[in-house]
Amino acid sequence: MARRLEESVGHKNEALETGGRGFLMRSEITHDEHPLSLGKTSVWNQFFQETEIIEQIERDVKRTHPDMQFFCGDSSLAKSNQEALRHILIIFAKLNPGIRYVQGMNEILAPLFYVFRNDPDQNNAVYAEADAFFCFVELLSGFRDNFCQKLDNSVVGIRSTISKLSELLKKHDGELWRHLEITTKVNPQFYAFRWITLLLTQEFNFVDSLHIWDALLSDPDGPQETLLRVCCAMLILVRKCLLAGDFTSNLKLLQNYPQTNINHLLYVANKLRGSSAG
Amino acid sequence: MASRRRMLLKVIILGDSGVGKTSLMNQYVNKKFSNQYKATIGADFLTKEVQIDDRLFTLQIWDTAGQERFQSLGVAFYRGADCCVLVYDVNVMKSFDNLNNWREEFLLQASPSDPENFPFIVLGNKIDIDGGNSRVVSEKKAKAWCASKGNIPYFETSAKEGLNVEAAFQCIAMNALKNEPEEDIYLPDTIDVAGGGRQLQRSSGCEC
Repeated sequence: MARRLEESVGHKNEALETGGRGFLMRSEITHDEHPLSLGKTSVWNQFFQETEIIEQIERDVKRTHPDMQFFCGDSSLAKSNQEALRHILIIFAKLNPGIRYVQGMNEILAPLFYVFRNDPDQNNAVYAEADAFFCFVELLSGFRDNFCQKLDNSVVGIRSTISKLSELLKKHDGELWRHLEITTKVNPQFYAFRWITLLLTQEFNFVDSLHIWDALLSDPDGPQETLLRVCCAMLILVRKCLLAGDFTSNLKLLQNYPQTNINHLLYVANKLRGSSAG
Repeated sequence: MASRRRMLLKVIILGDSGVGKTSLMNQYVNKKFSNQYKATIGADFLTKEVQIDDRLFTLQIWDTAGQERFQSLGVAFYRGADCCVLVYDVNVMKSFDNLNNWREEFLLQASPSDPENFPFIVLGNKIDIDGGNSRVVSEKKAKAWCASKGNIPYFETSAKEGLNVEAAFQCIAMNALKNEPEEDIYLPDTIDVAGGGRQLQRSSGCEC
């Protein structure tokens, strides 16, 4: 890409040179290769699109765990860690033109990078960027459909994943399901969209979410099934509050999930096993 | 009477990623500013009690994600909105250029009954940055756009300094109220016995 761009800049210089000698010849600007081109194959258009994605990644990397010195602040550690996150997200976006970068990917990458970078063995820690990239690609291969706008209304996109959660709740706690979705009209999309796309990283503190991830990544049923069970358990654990609540209080509760004993949460989730809705 | 029932006004905040939607909402509701907000995924939800004249209302504010990818999921959030707040960053031209897309996307997805007169409000945020030296969208330009879209009220704000935020949301609440159909307020006088389910649902809502 960089080479093609250079070539194209080369063309431009040539054109400028000819321009200096007289009229600019039309044939010099070919193949829609000019900065205002909207053609999909235009390197200029691609260049501007990539700039936009890089800016978006930049903005989000800066706001990844702003409360943790590991990720944010003026220290050289935070700076180099942000740099690594940026590299991984940009490369992923370039390798996956169908999805590119979607807000929230930074939140999924952060725990992976954190774990590798803090490997007690320095020989391993120096490869944190490469290791995190590999695992990020692996992990997203199971979850990437949730990030894909084109699949939103398909049987594999985020809406369908959210419906699976709703089905799971209906199966295990019909009363709670009815109260939430029928009586108080809390569309599961209002809270579960973030729960699912971010694999619960924004609902709990960092250490607790690592604890949950251990369960997600080690379960033989795979991360997605396990995630839905944990989400369903989260609802069941606060059922008393939810059943007493109206739309506003329920949505506020679910968007700001209270601190919880994670072992207990995983225990409850585990008991929902073997009866998945998927 | 049932008109004593506290009324809900639903407000949606839209705009490009990073223009300060979350900050504006938190400055208004919690009187706080933080540099530490994460990117909003999906939509966040807050409420605030407001008084207009002598009546109390609950403002239900939906702070949405700015990235284009999330737009197709908007319909669940946009539906039933009483007012739509369009936010841009006065220091970023593109965020201003995109106001038109946000407005059209909202009208398309929320499909309000009277799109021509649906209440929008435009906020030009981050006027505090660099003492205003880095701004690229002039007040004049912004006002001209607002005028061309049916005189949308326009405010220049700083969520960081709390500048104009209260005034802007007061205007938002007033405009949301204008959009609310009268029958909602004077419900007992307008019950249509032949009307069927809709009224039945409503009246049962009022009894409790």
